[in-house]
Amino acid sequence: MKKAWVIALNTFQESLRKKTFYVLLVVALVVIGASRFFSFLAAEDELKMIKDVGFASIEFFGALIAIFTALTAVSGEIEKRTIYPLLSKPIKRSHFIIGKLTGQTLVIFLNFVFMSLFFIVLLLIKKSPPDINIFKALILIFIELVLIGTITLTVATFATEAFNLIFSFFLYVVGHLISYGSQILERVENTLLQRLGKAFYSILPNYENFNIKDKVVVGVSVSWKYVGTNVLYGILYMVIALLIGIYFFNKREV
Amino acid sequence: MAIIETRGLSKVYTLGKKRQVVALNDVTLNIQEGEIFGILGPNGSGKTTSLKLLLGIIFPTAGEIAIMGENQFSIAAKKNIGFLPENPYYYDYLTGPEILKFYGKLFDIPSSTIADRTEELLNLVGLYNARNLALKHYSKGMLERIGLATSLINDPKILILDEPTTGLDPIGCKETRDLLIKLNKSGKTILLSSHFLSEVERVCTRIAIFHRGYLLTTGTLTGLLEEYQAENLEDLFVKAIEKFDTAEQK
Repeated sequence: MKKAWVIALNTFQESLRKKTFYVLLVVALVVIGASRFFSFLAAEDELKMIKDVGFASIEFFGALIAIFTALTAVSGEIEKRTIYPLLSKPIKRSHFIIGKLTGQTLVIFLNFVFMSLFFIVLLLIKKSPPDINIFKALILIFIELVLIGTITLTVATFATEAFNLIFSFFLYVVGHLISYGSQILERVENTLLQRLGKAFYSILPNYENFNIKDKVVVGVSVSWKYVGTNVLYGILYMVIALLIGIYFFNKREV
Repeated sequence: MAIIETRGLSKVYTLGKKRQVVALNDVTLNIQEGEIFGILGPNGSGKTTSLKLLLGIIFPTAGEIAIMGENQFSIAAKKNIGFLPENPYYYDYLTGPEILKFYGKLFDIPSSTIADRTEELLNLVGLYNARNLALKHYSKGMLERIGLATSLINDPKILILDEPTTGLDPIGCKETRDLLIKLNKSGKTILLSSHFLSEVERVCTRIAIFHRGYLLTTGTLTGLLEEYQAENLEDLFVKAIEKFDTAEQK
């Protein structure tokens, strides 16, 4: 595992040198900061707006950074042929994938911390110190971002970068619409179609499980049990995705 | 004692649904400990494919590989290998010492040993004065030199070099040749692939000639010159290939 950590640190260092990371982070901070300028609204509405925009930006821009970092993690090494000297060293291919995942998770975490701190500072400026529910929402967003990154990395072990880009965004959208999709399925009369639909939805990651921001914004409390259950759901999904990624990369010709 | 052995090694690439390309065909080869073994062949003859197979970067379609008695994916075997890829490309934001440290860590080498070896290797390949320069500012020749240094970070028993003098100027080529001979004398087995015949002629103790994925012949240079009644390596190379092409046409 020490070798996976060496690869992780290198991946982290490499990602921080890419302009995409800084551009997305700056845009995210600008968008979060812009929510402050809705001062024409009543104080309560303005605070709600800051929370709404803050959570949405952390999630959306975090997802973009997760996808773009994971997208090139494997293909970048293959295209630049840095993979040849790497795989000739005494490392297992699984170390490479675990290292890449750890490295990109560090990138996601750093970006998440910057955005979250900025968001919290904004709330403090508005004299509304964040309560525990704000942190619960942030924890779930972070797990969602790591999961998005893990799935993108897994797909990168067997698919092209172009396919992965389209697939990851498709999954991001569909993963947030699973609850709506399930409701529509309930109204479908054809049982075979209904079963197929349910099977399809049960395989896909349900990103809406990590979305408690709508409740938190309006002051509804969310239990730790809910948070814990969905953190476990996320971690389990990540482990399965990681194992699939390792399986495919073990068979991949580079 | 054979330090590298291949038996019936083949590699077939499947392109699309039906098209198959045979990159390597039934190659059986023994490389003895302490020799400098040269793989010669025109472009597309299977040289790089052979090296990638030996390093476990790609998987054989058929056949077996043993490196110091272990298979090519064995961590124990890889600990004893240093590899220089063709046209080496490394993480260009790192400096020479940083890239050596990165690879050194992958060999579980202690930091103090890496630091000592870094200074020694940078001096050996003539890059000590460029130690603070990021690799993106390196010339092709400098990249080749740092590649050679990274391949030596673990003080390997086996050095596998793919076209080690590509991009080097004549002085660089000579320095590399001298270095390979010196490393060989210190006990390292060297396997190098090249299409520079003069380079192979000057350093290799035994050679193998590849063409279209086939191993045409293998042996010492003098032995092969006699066998093919050739005047020099270039003549031998042409005769071996012509003999194969004529036999194939029939």
